[in-house]
Amino acid sequence: MVRVRYDDVTKRYGNEIGAKDIDITIDDGEFAVLLGPSGCGKTTTLRCLAGLTDPTEGGIRIDGTDITNRHPKNRDIAMVFQELALYPHMGVAANIGYPLKVEGIDKATRRERVEEVAETLDISELLDRETDELSGGQRQRVAIGRAIIRRPSVFLMDEPLASLDAKLKVEMRNEIKKLQRELGITTLYVTHDQEEAMTLGDTLIVMNDGTVQQVGTPTEVYHDPANQFVAGFIGSPSMNFLQVRREAVGSQRVVAANDATFSFSVKGLPTALDDTEPFVLGVRPQYFSVHQSPVDGAAKAEVTVTEPMGDEQLLTVQLDDDNRELAVRAPFDVAVSRSDTIWLGISADSAYVFDAETGERIRQAEASPDTVVPTGSRP
Amino acid sequence: MATDTQPNRDVSRTLLAGVERIHETLDSYGLVPTVTNGIALLFVVWTLFPVYWMVSGSLRTRSDLLATPPKLVSTALTVGNYPELFAQRPAFYEFLFNSVVVTVGSTALAVLLGTAATYGFVNYEFPYNLGRFHLPFLVLTTRFLPPIVTVIPLYVIFDTAGLLNTRLGLVLAYAAFNIPFVVWMLKGFFAELPDSIVEAAVLDGHTELGAFFKIVLPMVRPGLIAATIFTVINAWNELLFAVILTSNTEAQTLPVALATFKTAYAIQWELLTVAGTIAMAPVLLFAFLVREKLLRGFTMGAVR
Repeated sequence: MVRVRYDDVTKRYGNEIGAKDIDITIDDGEFAVLLGPSGCGKTTTLRCLAGLTDPTEGGIRIDGTDITNRHPKNRDIAMVFQELALYPHMGVAANIGYPLKVEGIDKATRRERVEEVAETLDISELLDRETDELSGGQRQRVAIGRAIIRRPSVFLMDEPLASLDAKLKVEMRNEIKKLQRELGITTLYVTHDQEEAMTLGDTLIVMNDGTVQQVGTPTEVYHDPANQFVAGFIGSPSMNFLQVRREAVGSQRVVAANDATFSFSVKGLPTALDDTEPFVLGVRPQYFSVHQSPVDGAAKAEVTVTEPMGDEQLLTVQLDDDNRELAVRAPFDVAVSRSDTIWLGISADSAYVFDAETGERIRQAEASPDTVVPTGSRP
Repeated sequence: MATDTQPNRDVSRTLLAGVERIHETLDSYGLVPTVTNGIALLFVVWTLFPVYWMVSGSLRTRSDLLATPPKLVSTALTVGNYPELFAQRPAFYEFLFNSVVVTVGSTALAVLLGTAATYGFVNYEFPYNLGRFHLPFLVLTTRFLPPIVTVIPLYVIFDTAGLLNTRLGLVLAYAAFNIPFVVWMLKGFFAELPDSIVEAAVLDGHTELGAFFKIVLPMVRPGLIAATIFTVINAWNELLFAVILTSNTEAQTLPVALATFKTAYAIQWELLTVAGTIAMAPVLLFAFLVREKLLRGFTMGAVR
């Protein structure tokens, strides 16, 4: 059982906050991914666990043992760095076996373990090479080999795939996932790539501005985002956000005079939110229904860009009488081209509502049919 | 100011155009390699002739060496000058020994302290860019003064401390003198090391000190070798401090000994060339042995 626990960890650099009130648990054997834009504090959080950065406040426990003030080498962790940090003056085998050498393990055992690890990573034929003779993917494997050879209880990775090309990235991603399953090592992985995070992680820890925004499974953070930041960060292309207000029209669903008006029931809006107060409506590009003739409750828009992508196409559209742009994903057989007029519909269960001020999600509770009208500029 | 530099720029432009024209003319006759090689050869002769003259002089008799007109190549070579030197000056061994001790000691000290200091400057956080620039610059300022300015106060200090005419005194003086060079030669090498290398070493089980010796130092080896050569040459050839801070064979070094061949009445050329050759040999041999690493050391830190 290796369970990692962050107890309200805060790291300050002078007056600047690196990470704030990090309070998370990573369960035994879990693959947790710290996800967020650059500068969000994810690497700081990871480095606190590695012991390369000392938290200003709070503590970290592994299996209930406080390791906050322990030297990195006594934490039983291994790490793969973004730059890989292979030792250039050593060959491949020496690099992989180095942690064992430092530990004082004899040469024969070391060689045995190195060969074992090399076989797992499919790099047996590279053991006698120098590190500068390797390709990006091979270097990656060597770095991972050096990390797993000690059979650490926690495995840390800081954007290890950042320098690989797209195809290799996908390949290595799958291998890392497979390897982690096989070894069952509790893993904390840092990335800014949401696709990487979604495919790798059992749990995503989404961070922004030094704080944790949401912890959940990939499905949870995608389909049930806690706030506007998470909703916008997860998913590609990003969720569309429209600053809108409610149009009180009694119990009827009515299309407002303005053509750029979506009409659907926005359930459970807080009563404190009066009709003039704007809020944010979030809709993923693929959740619009696209019509080529006027439809009840759909907003009129003009197509400005079309990007065919095989089975589907990505449209950039502009709402009528409005300069706000929306990204819309439509099936390939919807025959539209630049400057065509389309009508966009939204269904209530695929739209998200956020507080305009705080960005917090406003959960839908009870049905109250309303019409929303876009107002002001796009947030 | 702009108008002041204008004529200069015109001159340089004209010069450049002239050189290009010469190059084109030579190229049309296919003479470019011949001319460039010729210039290179001229430079080699210019640099190496004094060395040749000294070494060949050590193998010639006095009259042969001083013949008028000078004989560029001698037919009567002899090794007799070498035993003659040690016969006339039995203390030469002691000078040689002092030089070796002072050079090795001061180089070891300068490289050790300089390396540690540079690593600290570059890898630890200092406010206001102190580590990356200002502190190393401060170290370098100690070399801004002409040595003659510092040697007088140093004499007084060494006198008080009982370091006058001791090898230890010279070791300390030379080390202090050479540390700025070591710092500036290694700065680039340390700055190039990614932080993650040291961190990886720490996670692999090293202490910071262990990581420094086992991982960092091997990685900057070309720089260390270049810095070592540089300090060795500086210490081995130093004359001013040695003349002023030492007074007899207890601590006097080879350069001081060499200076004594020139007296008010005569210069013992044939012995001076022997002594000079012996003085030159160790450093030349050392530099020859590590020549590849030396070249990498001098260029690597600077280029990338």
